[in-house]
Amino acid sequence: MHFEEQTIKVVIDESKCVGCKTQACVAGCKLYDRGILILKDGMPALGGDAAFARRVGTECLACEYECWFRGNKAITIEAPIPGLDEYRRKHGVL
Amino acid sequence: MARLYEYQGKQLLKVFKVPIPQGEVVSTPQEAKRVAEKVGKPVAIKSQVWAGGRGKAGGVKFADHPLDAEIVANQLLGSEIKNLKVEKVLVEEKLNIEKEYYVGVIIDASREVRAPVVMFSTEGGIDIESVPSEKITQMTVDILRGFRSYDAINLARRLDVPAAFLPAVSQAISGLFNTFKEYNCRTAEINPLVLTRDGKIFAGDCRIAIDDSSVYRHPELGISVAREAATPPTELDKIAWQIEEGDLRGTCYIAQMVTEIKGLNYVGYHGMGGGGAILGVDGLNRVGLKIANYADTSGNPTAAKVYRAVKVIFSQPGIEGYMLGGFMYANQEQWHHAHGVVKALQEELPKRPGFPCVLLICGNKEKEALEILREGTKDLPGRIEIYGADKVYETQFLAERMKTLIAEYRKERGINPVD
Repeated sequence: MHFEEQTIKVVIDESKCVGCKTQACVAGCKLYDRGILILKDGMPALGGDAAFARRVGTECLACEYECWFRGNKAITIEAPIPGLDEYRRKHGVL
Repeated sequence: MARLYEYQGKQLLKVFKVPIPQGEVVSTPQEAKRVAEKVGKPVAIKSQVWAGGRGKAGGVKFADHPLDAEIVANQLLGSEIKNLKVEKVLVEEKLNIEKEYYVGVIIDASREVRAPVVMFSTEGGIDIESVPSEKITQMTVDILRGFRSYDAINLARRLDVPAAFLPAVSQAISGLFNTFKEYNCRTAEINPLVLTRDGKIFAGDCRIAIDDSSVYRHPELGISVAREAATPPTELDKIAWQIEEGDLRGTCYIAQMVTEIKGLNYVGYHGMGGGGAILGVDGLNRVGLKIANYADTSGNPTAAKVYRAVKVIFSQPGIEGYMLGGFMYANQEQWHHAHGVVKALQEELPKRPGFPCVLLICGNKEKEALEILREGTKDLPGRIEIYGADKVYETQFLAERMKTLIAEYRKERGINPVD
């Protein structure tokens, strides 16, 4: 699944969530964000529609962090900066 | 405040019927010659840089003939005036000055006023701050009532502008105020407002700055970064501006100090809280380090905004370290900074093993933020030191730690600073 907030995209590889014992992303979301991720049938799910995520999410990045360190590394957050990759290539920055 | 160049400001003044000298802005000596031919009289060639006192710094020269204009423009274009590179010059008719006045409009932001103030002085051509108060007259404008033509006349009369020139002078004052109002300026100034020997009035020079929050209303001005700066935005500044432009949740200010790093000792600098962050810069400077950029993320920005700031900072080739410096007890929830920084370092440090990072974070949610930083960076291949409130005022210590880590990093890579 994936959803967007104001400027970021959260991608969750649900196949990795199977067997996750901590669901730390949901707890992290509640602590650092506004709890837009909820637990549904043992899996993380968005607690509303796409507009809800965009409006309510605070882009705290906590779900990704919690999943890295306490979950199954199932979450990736994309926070692009237009033009930066090209700038880095041009200036030889890895 | 987003500044305009003199030539841009004059075009706005022209819209509001303030007379400006005949001329054009050019970027090559050949164009300067062409414009001088078109003007058909002696011309002034004026470097278009954001600096006061250009004349004394050699940035304004004169030419009697078009060929001279080409030679002079060739000298000015590409030169540096007050450390600012001259990329354009304004070629315009040289004015035969009889008298110089000053007109300015600023915002008095004090609590009891909060309104535009129109100032006029008979002593133009010099900094208004150095003019005796008895030679300055001013009027605070009631924005509901507006600024009327007779208000402009009254200002000029108070300082005994001769009757013959009152209509032209007051028209220029009104024109400046209308420019200020219509373009949502923070400041607008004509200095000098020139009375020529043949009795005409011209805007000799001008300084106009648009309110940052109003820049979006004026796409025609072509302002790419709506922010006060001493120099035009760099390529990286423009990229960084996109983080801030449509996202007002906290601040993400990034300004490159050098566009091309030559030599050693440059640090990517990430402050939190503008004033306090300067302390960190001072500390680095005292130990011989320099900042490649100045950055400030404060006002409780999102973690995503902080992450992007760090990515931009790490995009500068030649930096030898990264310093996150919250040199004050912040009210913002610092765990968002911690999450943003960790995500960026997770991406950046594996590409540059051993890279020095000094991270100072303190204030609200400090304990949790430090835990996130420690846990999030413990397996990364950088030279990472993390500090909290006990070191908040220890700028010198932190700068020295950065210097030490950089020395180790250089040694590891076989870089000798003497080379």
